[in-house]
Amino acid sequence: MRTLLLKLEPLIWFMFGQGILIGTMLLTGWILVIGILMPLGIVDPANLDYTRAHALATSSLFGILPIGPLLLAALLVLPLWKGAHHVRSLLIDFGGGERDSFVATVLYLIAIVGSGMAIGAVVGL
Amino acid sequence: MGAAHPEAMAPPKPGRTRTAPPQMPSTWWSAPRIRTYLLFDATGFIYFLVGFHAIHMIRALGEGPEAWQAVMSSLSHPLYILFHVVALASVIFVAVRFFRLFPKAQPPSIGPAKPPPGNVIHAMLYVVWIGITLVMSLALSGVIF
Repeated sequence: MRTLLLKLEPLIWFMFGQGILIGTMLLTGWILVIGILMPLGIVDPANLDYTRAHALATSSLFGILPIGPLLLAALLVLPLWKGAHHVRSLLIDFGGGERDSFVATVLYLIAIVGSGMAIGAVVGL
Repeated sequence: MGAAHPEAMAPPKPGRTRTAPPQMPSTWWSAPRIRTYLLFDATGFIYFLVGFHAIHMIRALGEGPEAWQAVMSSLSHPLYILFHVVALASVIFVAVRFFRLFPKAQPPSIGPAKPPPGNVIHAMLYVVWIGITLVMSLALSGVIF
């Protein structure tokens, strides 16, 4: 398992890097508006009712580039890889080097399953 | 707090320079740099939660208007608002720290091309981040698109 993890390291690192860069950039506005401003009533939640939310999530640029689904998929998938890799790193720092192969496998499996669920959710719109 | 495993995340072949196994100082909680470093990693938990919660929301959107309405209403719970305040603080913390590290991690050159100076990359990251956040916020709020 350790050898496999090392072989996959470039791919894992790539997803982690995109998670921290693109994930963070996409999440800031998402959390701000959906998680804080709308629940507090500062922004009217009616602006993101089902019809509009669905239209935004399935919007495309010039009718060919599915910009809404692509951004949404990135927003759902990438943070999971940032999460998996950083939690792994944290658990190593807290004396978990011996069990790293197992912990890392579990965390990346969670990220893989989550990514599948995310893509399924976006495709299912 | 034990010593970190020396082989954790190590390359398959050891380097030529002998190194001492990494060890977490027993006073880690009083060392601000280590604390910040650990906090940076700990935001991973928040990213996991935010990611899975966002997946939950989009699944609700796929189920129809009632499910979407229900999931949007649930966000008014004080615990959800508190969670999202912590999440916002986390992503801002990650952005500020990561954007500062990013220019230092650039290769000296990519083929014949040289990356711009560090402070230019740093500023560009902020411009893109603020731009994306602005467009995203305005789009979700119904001001644009």
